[in-house]
Amino acid sequence: MINNWLQKIPTGEAYQINRILYRIQHDREEEKRYVANPDAYIARYTELTPVAAKALESTDIARLYLLGANPYLLRAYCLQLRVPEHDYLAALKAAGEELEHG
Amino acid sequence: MAEIVGTFAVSHTPVMTNLPHAPAGLVSDSVFDAFRRIGERIAHLEPDALVVVSNDHLHNFFLGNMPAFCIGISERYEGPVEDWLKVERKTVPGARELSAHVLQYCLDNGFDPSFSLDLVLDHGMVTPLTLAGVLGRFPIAPVLVNCVQPPLPRMARCMELGKVIGRAIRSFDGASRVVVLATGGIAHDVGTPRMGFVNEAFDRRFLALLGDSDISRLCEYSEAEVNTAGNGAEEIRNWLVAHGIADSRGFELHHYAPVTEWYTGIALGSWRAA
Repeated sequence: MINNWLQKIPTGEAYQINRILYRIQHDREEEKRYVANPDAYIARYTELTPVAAKALESTDIARLYLLGANPYLLRAYCLQLRVPEHDYLAALKAAGEELEHG
Repeated sequence: MAEIVGTFAVSHTPVMTNLPHAPAGLVSDSVFDAFRRIGERIAHLEPDALVVVSNDHLHNFFLGNMPAFCIGISERYEGPVEDWLKVERKTVPGARELSAHVLQYCLDNGFDPSFSLDLVLDHGMVTPLTLAGVLGRFPIAPVLVNCVQPPLPRMARCMELGKVIGRAIRSFDGASRVVVLATGGIAHDVGTPRMGFVNEAFDRRFLALLGDSDISRLCEYSEAEVNTAGNGAEEIRNWLVAHGIADSRGFELHHYAPVTEWYTGIALGSWRAA
């Protein structure tokens, strides 16, 4: 059965991902630093797991979702980065397939 | 003592203001008409204050500190926080004395909400109040319920909170007429693989149960079936708070449409004043 949430209690890894999504959305200076050099920006967050850092660097929406990014934060993040709606929805569908078929 | 002269609940999806023309004209027009009519009814009731029950969408709160319930106790609020909402940012008056009374009453009567003097409004309040044409017209007392980041408060607990808030409002002697507006839901997914699917059957059953007198069945159904209706459907908690405030009596549905172009089951309803 499909659940509304992947994590009943957020993991530390999800927290670290969400912290970045939240800051880039709510702090104009953070947003500027991110846009200037995304890789360097993400590299500063040494608490991130390698898989989370890689997903953020490549804006891998499906992976971020599967790692526990809050869907509302990830939605707004994709709007902010102007990810085309079609690509965003397709990435989520791919994440759903992965959940279903492993 | 204050009287609750009206209790209303409506959906609040932001796409109604940032993508207003996504659905066919007849569909969106009838939704916008339903919002306008609710706004007219609220204005006609001439409230001294508007208690707005909604949820933050991770603008005020974050995983660093996530309250299950929070009551805003400011003299004014600004919003919307979202630049992309296509609604002009403005400052609206807060019903501080009523909020403070409700907060204290909750703490004295078995609930421990957090409070905030620094809430920014997001689409959860701004979109429906704008569509109803009453944003900033009446001082607001915001009540926020965590519907967006698990673990979430239980459905029955939200209804119980509503009962206490209802008693709090009725024991407030600083106003005579109070209107309640809950916002959110109903069926929709935000940012999940199921986004775009609207579980109309869930919505119709939930709305029917609101009109029924059996509150335990309503809460049990909500808790058990919300996972079939999407993470956005978790916002029915706000409707359950309103149901509790209205003493679980006299629900009437004004409008319902499953609007896939807005990803959401859009509903508007009210409870008859006791």
